[in-house]
Amino acid sequence: MAALINVDDDAMEPTLQTILDQRSLRWIFVGGKGGVGKTTTSCSLAIQLAKVRRSVLLISTDPAHNLSDAFSQKFGKEARLVDGFDNLSAMEIDPNGSIQDLLAGQGDDAAGGDVGGMGGMMQDLAFAIPGIDEAMSFAEVLKQVKSLSYETIIFDTAPTGHTLRFLQFPSVLEKALAKVSQLSNQYGPLLNGFLGNNGTLPNGQNLTEMMEKLETLRSTISEVNTQFKDERLTTFVCVCIPEFLSLYETERMIQELSSYQIDTHCIVVNQLLFPKPGSDCEQCTARRRMQKKYLDQIEELYDEFNVVKMPLLVEEVRGKEKLEKFSEMLVKPFVPPA
Amino acid sequence: MPSLLLVIFGIELVVQLVNTIGANTINGLLWRIYLSLPTPLSLEVAAQRKKQKEYLAVRHELNATSSQDQFAKWAKLRRQHDKLLEELEKQKSSQDAARASFDRYLTTTRLVSTRGLQWFLPFWYSKQPMFWLPAGWFPYYVEWFASFPRAPMGSVSIVVWQMACAGVLALIIEAILTIVGFVGASRQKQKQPVPAAGAGSKKDS
Repeated sequence: MAALINVDDDAMEPTLQTILDQRSLRWIFVGGKGGVGKTTTSCSLAIQLAKVRRSVLLISTDPAHNLSDAFSQKFGKEARLVDGFDNLSAMEIDPNGSIQDLLAGQGDDAAGGDVGGMGGMMQDLAFAIPGIDEAMSFAEVLKQVKSLSYETIIFDTAPTGHTLRFLQFPSVLEKALAKVSQLSNQYGPLLNGFLGNNGTLPNGQNLTEMMEKLETLRSTISEVNTQFKDERLTTFVCVCIPEFLSLYETERMIQELSSYQIDTHCIVVNQLLFPKPGSDCEQCTARRRMQKKYLDQIEELYDEFNVVKMPLLVEEVRGKEKLEKFSEMLVKPFVPPA
Repeated sequence: MPSLLLVIFGIELVVQLVNTIGANTINGLLWRIYLSLPTPLSLEVAAQRKKQKEYLAVRHELNATSSQDQFAKWAKLRRQHDKLLEELEKQKSSQDAARASFDRYLTTTRLVSTRGLQWFLPFWYSKQPMFWLPAGWFPYYVEWFASFPRAPMGSVSIVVWQMACAGVLALIIEAILTIVGFVGASRQKQKQPVPAAGAGSKKDS
């Protein structure tokens, strides 16, 4: 019997099944340019993952949160179970709320009266700092790293620029904290001499305690850094549409991710048009032609990626049922009606 | 050991030449000579030139490819281009560092062998007479100055000899430069004959 050479063995499957199969995966980022369908894809992926995992958490890091709209259910900064699921939770991190909690917490420790005046000004300052959203999301990540309550965590990220900044956060923070701890080791004893035996700072906190907290923070961050760079634990799913700008953005994002050593091997191409053969809609056929051109380029350039092709549906993908139907197409390739 | 007279004269000559030609020019020339020798550094430089040519070819091809129509090819070229650029930058910075250390080495050698000797030799041979002045030609104070500070009376000390060499050489070199400049300027004037008479007469009529 002649051996059959299956040429398609090397070709990558056009599905996200590999992500579902990879059980060691803990962190999944879903990102891409604005309006390509990141939220839809991340919600669909979360639904599929919830079928094969113990517990899944979906976090939105986009300051303009969409998860509530996608599931038609209000989410907040505490993880809440999605209606109709028993192992899928969602969370929308609100920087304002987190900062108020932080300040309120500090206010309890120190004299309540002082913080009242300063608190307002600090709040305004804190909201204005660029990157505060990323910092708050990252603080949430740190909490999740320690606790193992969720088997997989999916991030619905903000349009590309913010996401890349978020991913750089661990390295930047680690370097900053390393510097701080080095300085504190050098000047700590000197400062202790100034501050007296207890080492109490003007705002009532203990210097050594603060240094210890920073040290544990640093070790947690370096742990996160290692986990994000480990391809068995972290991956990035790029969502795009077959148009020039989105494609260019995706290419740029993939190159930058590889420079951060974050694994990415899946691309979801959304909003594909499949006009009926006898259709006389000019726009549809013209758009289809353009999409076909870019689709060919995508297949040629990303031959080592899993490229999933998702169709443009006739109705909006909102609500649990529509998302479930959409999510089926992530694992079973869509076959356009002939 | 060659005559001390000639050694001092030689040092002053070198110093004047370096001042005229310029230390950087000399450093550049020596660097090029060093690169032409078969050292590992020169091989690196040759490899970098080749890589630079490769990079320019890739960039040319990249600009010729339309990103809209041939995105895949364009993206692959772009990746190659970025990688080559990064490698080139790294190599350039390491070579600049090598050049800087080479310059530093040359400057130190040059300074030690010229200024260093300029200070050391007079100190070492301060008592040695360079040559003897004919007796009775100069009055006492001239002889005292010529033997300053520690040479025997009636001779020329090394310090005075050094100053004399420096002064004479400076004058000679200045004279040479002026002559060269004059000759060059006059040759320039010959190349551009001034059209004075013709134009003037044309305008009048």
